Amino acid sequence: MNPVLCLSLCLTPNNVFCIVVEAGTPWKGNDTVERHLAAVERVGLSRGLSPQAVSILLEFSLSLRSAIGIRVLKFLVPASTVPEEAIIRGVSWLCVDKMPVNMQVLFVRWVLTVFDLIDSKDQLRAIYGFIFNFVTEENLVRRVLVLLFITYPLLELQTRMGCQPFLMHLLSVYKVYCPELVTISVPAKMKSGFKNHNSTWKAALAAVQKSSTTELLSDLQLSVGVSQQPATRKRKLHRHLTIPAVSSSIQSQSRLSGSKVFPLEQLRTFSQLLENLHRIELPAQMGSLLGSTVALHFLDCVRDSSAFLRLNFWLGHLLHEEFIFCKDGGTQDLTEATGFLNTLISTQCFLQEGFAATELFLYKFLNIWDGSLLRPEILGLLSNIPVVPCSRIKTLLFEPLMQLFFTSSLFFKCSVIECLTNMLLKWLTWHSVYAFEDELDISVTSQTPMNMTLSGLMDSVVELVHFVGRISTIGLQLEGYHSLLLSFTLDFYMMVSDMYLKYDLPLVLMPPAGVFYPALFATDPVNLDKLCHIMYRYRTNLMSAKNQEQKMKISRKTYHEFNQYVVSMVSCLWNSRAFQPGMGLEMDEGLLSRSGVPEPWTRFSLVYHPAFLGYAVDFHENCWPERMKMDLSSIKLGKRWDWYVEFLYCQGLQGLKEFMQSSLRRQSSVGGTRATSDSQSQPPS
Amino acid sequence: MEDVAKELLSRLVRRIPLVRLRHVLGRWERLSKTQLLSLDFTQPKWALCENLLSLCEENEIAVKDLTEIEMLYRSEYPDQGVWHVFQLVDTSEESLSSDFMHFRDQFKANLKDLINHVSIKMKKLEDESVWIRIAWGGNFSRPNHLKPTYVVHHLQTPYVFVSSLANKHKPLLFQALALSAHCGSVKDVNLSGRCLTALRDLSMRQYKQVFPSRHQKRLEERDLLPNPSIENEHIKLAEYKQQVASEVFGDGVLPKLETAVYKLETKYREHGSENLARRDEPFRGVVKFSSSNLLESLKYCVSSGMASTPVTPLLSSITHKGRNYFVIKDKQHGSVPNTSASKF
Amino acid sequence: MSLLRPFSKLPELNMANVLLVGNDDTFQHVLADAIVKQENNVNVNVRLARTLPLPAENEDSRPRIDLVVLIVNLRSELSLSSTETSLKHLDTGFFLGKVCFLVTGARCTSVPHERLASLRKIAVSLHCPLLFTEDQTAKGISAAAGRVLNILRVSAGLVPLATGLGLSTLIRCSLPPDLDCQD
Repeated sequence: MNPVLCLSLCLTPNNVFCIVVEAGTPWKGNDTVERHLAAVERVGLSRGLSPQAVSILLEFSLSLRSAIGIRVLKFLVPASTVPEEAIIRGVSWLCVDKMPVNMQVLFVRWVLTVFDLIDSKDQLRAIYGFIFNFVTEENLVRRVLVLLFITYPLLELQTRMGCQPFLMHLLSVYKVYCPELVTISVPAKMKSGFKNHNSTWKAALAAVQKSSTTELLSDLQLSVGVSQQPATRKRKLHRHLTIPAVSSSIQSQSRLSGSKVFPLEQLRTFSQLLENLHRIELPAQMGSLLGSTVALHFLDCVRDSSAFLRLNFWLGHLLHEEFIFCKDGGTQDLTEATGFLNTLISTQCFLQEGFAATELFLYKFLNIWDGSLLRPEILGLLSNIPVVPCSRIKTLLFEPLMQLFFTSSLFFKCSVIECLTNMLLKWLTWHSVYAFEDELDISVTSQTPMNMTLSGLMDSVVELVHFVGRISTIGLQLEGYHSLLLSFTLDFYMMVSDMYLKYDLPLVLMPPAGVFYPALFATDPVNLDKLCHIMYRYRTNLMSAKNQEQKMKISRKTYHEFNQYVVSMVSCLWNSRAFQPGMGLEMDEGLLSRSGVPEPWTRFSLVYHPAFLGYAVDFHENCWPERMKMDLSSIKLGKRWDWYVEFLYCQGLQGLKEFMQSSLRRQSSVGGTRATSDSQSQPPS
Repeated sequence: MEDVAKELLSRLVRRIPLVRLRHVLGRWERLSKTQLLSLDFTQPKWALCENLLSLCEENEIAVKDLTEIEMLYRSEYPDQGVWHVFQLVDTSEESLSSDFMHFRDQFKANLKDLINHVSIKMKKLEDESVWIRIAWGGNFSRPNHLKPTYVVHHLQTPYVFVSSLANKHKPLLFQALALSAHCGSVKDVNLSGRCLTALRDLSMRQYKQVFPSRHQKRLEERDLLPNPSIENEHIKLAEYKQQVASEVFGDGVLPKLETAVYKLETKYREHGSENLARRDEPFRGVVKFSSSNLLESLKYCVSSGMASTPVTPLLSSITHKGRNYFVIKDKQHGSVPNTSASKF
Repeated sequence: MSLLRPFSKLPELNMANVLLVGNDDTFQHVLADAIVKQENNVNVNVRLARTLPLPAENEDSRPRIDLVVLIVNLRSELSLSSTETSLKHLDTGFFLGKVCFLVTGARCTSVPHERLASLRKIAVSLHCPLLFTEDQTAKGISAAAGRVLNILRVSAGLVPLATGLGLSTLIRCSLPPDLDCQD
C-alpha cells in the first residue's frame, strides 16, 4: 500500500483553513479527519468557501486520488471567486495521468460549473488548447478515423443499453458531423439530453450565492448553456434560433477593482471599445456576438482563433439542428429563421468573410434544398462563401446548383446568376485587398485552414466563370433568351471583363458565344448597350495587359476570340455586312435567301437592329417631320449618319459610345459611312 | 372562511381559464349582479382571487357552495382529465330507473353506509345525465375537496363514466352504484379518453356508421376530383379503401379518442432456438397508438393505403366493441380470440 | 404485368401528360392541383397512381406519358420500397429523360440517413434527377409544382431547342461529396 497522505483541518472562525499534511498518516478509520471533513462539508454547502480555502482543498482533493478526494470535490462550493492559479494547478494534476477517470471527469465538470467565478482567465486562456484537447479527446472528435473508432463502439453500446438519453445526445452530436455513420434515428423530442451533472454543485452554488450579499452570479444560468435559459414552451422549439443576450462572466464592477477585465455587455460605444480593447473578456456564449456591432468590431480585431472556433461550433450545430435535422420536418414558422439568417448575413458582410460553419452547412443544405425555402437568405449566405478550391468546387457547389438552376423558374435562375456575381465580387475584392500584402498568400486572415495561393484562386475563378458561361448559355436557351436573364448574365460579365484592371487579377476570360450572340441580337437596347460596354472594358483590359506582357501572359486564343467578337459586332452594327464571309458570324447564303428577308446583312445595323429600330423611327420623324412615307435607308446617307450616331449617344447609350469610339477608326474620305475595326490587325497595339 | 374553502377557491381560480371562469361564475348565482360586475377579469389571477375571496366572505359562502363552481365548470366543459367507462351488468328489467330523486337518495345512503367521511353532491343536467361529485375522506380525516372523483351516469343506460378515481375507492363506489342501480356488478369496459361525448357515443354506438352501399359512395368520390385534367389510375382501389375505412370507423365526424393500447403476451415460437422457446415467462410488449384524434388517423391510414385492407380485427374492434385497451394472449391461454398482429 | 412505354402512343398538340406515382394521397392531390393551376399555356394532364404497373383497363384512355414523377416520402419506409418495385414496371425508354424523383421529408430529423442515401444511389444509377420538396407548406408545394412543370415542358417537347434527354444530363443526380473527410 502506498503511504496515504492525510490531513488535519482546523476550522477558524473567519472561514480560512489551515491544512497540515502529514505523510503516512492512515486516513481509514481516522475519526479526527472524518470530523474535520464533516465540518468543512457543512460550511462549504451552507456558506461557501473562501478563495484560499478552495485553492487548498482543490489541491488536496486532486492529490488524494481516492474516494475522499471525490468527496471533497463535491462540496467545493466557492463563496465568491475561484483563484485562477488553483485551476491551473488542478489542470497540472490532470496531466500527471495518475488520476482515476471519474475524478478527471468530475474535475472538468467542476471547472465548467465554476468557470464564471474564476477571477481572471489570462493564464488559463493560455492552456485552453490543452483543456479543449483533453475534452475533445473524449467527446468531440472531428477526424473521421477517430470517429469511426468512437462511433461504432457507441452504437454497440447503444444497442446494448437501449436509449439512454445522454448516449442519444452524444450520438446526435456525431450525427451532425457524420450522418452516414449514425444511421439510427434520433428521437425528435430530446430536450435535456445530457443530464445536468453540474447540478451537484449548481444548487449548492446558487444557494450560497443567494445568501451572500454580493449576488455575483445572478445569471449563472445563462452562462452554463443555451438550453438552460428560462423559456416558454414555444421558445423551446426554436430555442437555438434566438441570438442570446451578451453576458460575460464577470458581473459587477465592484469585483473588478482588482482585476482588469471589462465585461462585454457594458460596451456601448466604439470609443469605449478602443479604450478597453486589451482587457475585454469574451462572452460565455459566442452566439451573442452576432447581435452587437461593437462586439463584432472586437471579434474582428482580436483575431483569436479559439473565439472563431467557438463561434463556428455554435453556429454549425445550430444551423444543422434547425435546418437539416428539423424536429418537425419543416413546418415551423419561418419568420424567426429569416431574421436569424439575415443577422448572420449582415454579420458576415460586416466581418467581410464567411464562417466555415456556414460554408459547411450550405454544402449540405444545397443537396436537399427545394430551391424555394428561404431563398433570398440562402443565396445571400452562398454569395458570401470564401473561395472554394478548384478541385472541390464542382462537386460541392456546381452540381447541386446546376440541378436547382435548370429545374427552377426564371426568377430563380436570375437570382442564382446574381448570387454567383456577388460571390465573384467577394472573391475578387478579397484578392485585391490581400493579394499584395503577404506575397500573394491570401490566407493570412482567413479562418479556414485552407491555404490559397494566387494560382489556386485563379483556377477557382476560371472554374466559376466557365460554370456561369455554361449554365447561362443553356439557361438562356431554355428560357427563350429572356431579356431579364440576359441582363443578369451580362452583369456577371461586366465584372469578369474588368478583372485585371479593377481587381488586379491577371486574367481575361471571354463570354461564350451562347451569351455573346444572344446579347448582340437582343431586342432591347439596354442589353445591347451593356454588351458594348463589356466589350469596351475587355478592350481596355487587354490593351493594358498587352503593355505589361512581362507580368502576365494572355493566350493568343483570347485575343482571337475578342477580335472575332469585335469584328462581328462592327460588321453587324456599323458596316451592315453581317453574316458575310470573314465578318465573324458566317451564314450560308442559300439559307439566308430562304428566310425571305431583303438585304439580310443590313438587318442588324444601327438603323435596322430591333433594339435600335425605335430610335431610328424617332430620329426619322425628327429629321423629316413632313415626310409621309418612312424611308429609314435615308439615314445612312451623308451627314445624317453622323447625326444619327450622335443622336443615339444622346439617348443614354453610353456603352455604345464607348465601344464605337474605341473600336472604330473612321475613314471619312471614302463614302463617309465605311469604317474599319482596327482590331483586325491583331493583337491591338 | 375556512382555510379549505380558501384553498379550494384559489385553486379553482388558478385552474379555470378567465373566459370560462366568468361564464361559470355567472351561472353560479351566489354572487349578486353588482358583485359580478365589480370583478375585473383583466386583472392578474392572484388579484382576481383576492377580490373573489372578499366577496365570498361577504356573502358567507361555504365549501359546499364552492364545490358547486367546480361542478358547474366540469359539467360545462367536460373534456378535462381522463374518463373511464364502466358498465353496469346483470341489470334486471325494471331496475334501470329513471327517477333521479330515488337514485340520488339510494346512492347517497349506500355510499355513506360504506364510508363515514364522504361528501357527495349530485345534480341532473338538461340532457338527462346525472353528475356526481364525491370528495373522499379517510377513517379519521375529513373529505378532501381538492381531489374529487366525478361520476357521470345516464339514467336508464348501463354506462357510467368516471374520472380521477383512486384504486382504493373503486370497490366502494362500485358497490354503491350496483346497489342503487339494482345491478349485479360493475364491469370495466376498457375504454378511456378525454372527450366525454366521444366515449358516450362510442359505448352507446351513437356515431354515424356506414353500411355497404356502393352507389352513393361513388358519387361523392367523383366530387372530390372536380378537375378534368387530373385522373386517378387507381380510382377503383381508392374507392374501395375509402368504403372499407368508412365501414370500419364510421363516417362524418368521428368520436375523439386519444389512445389505443395493445398489450401482448406471447410465447416465442420458432424451431431451432430452444432457449427462447422453453421460457416459461411469456414475452410482453405494449403497443400504444396516440393521436389527437385516433380514429380519424386510423381511418386515414386505411383509406390512404398505409394499412392493409381488409382491416385487421384489432383495429376494427375499437369501434365495434367500443374499447381501446386490449390484452392479446396466445390462443392456448385464450382470452381474446384474435392473435394476429396488426399490419402496417 | 404490363410495362409502361413512353413511345407507344402519339403525342397530341399542346398537351403534356405527367404521371405522379406515390402512395401519399394527400400530397399527390395537392401537387396535382398545383401543377394544373400553374400551367396556362398548354393543357397539362395529370394522372395519379399509387404504384406501377398501372391497371390494364385504363390502357386505351391513357394518353402518352411525357414524364413519370416518382414521389418518395422519406418518412416512410413503405414509400421507398414501393417506389423500388414501381421502377421495375417502367420501360427503359423512360429513363432517357422522362423520369424524376420527388423527395419529401428530407430535412426531418426522424428520417434515417441511409434511406436518403439508398434513394440517391438508385437515382444515380438510373441517371435521374432528384428533386427535394417541402411538402408541409403551400409555398413549398407550389415551388415543387413549378419545377415538375419545368421538366415536363421540356420532356413533352414544348420548349424549342431542348430535349428531355439533354436536360436530364444536366440535372441528373450525383453523389454528394463526403464533407467530413476534408482537411
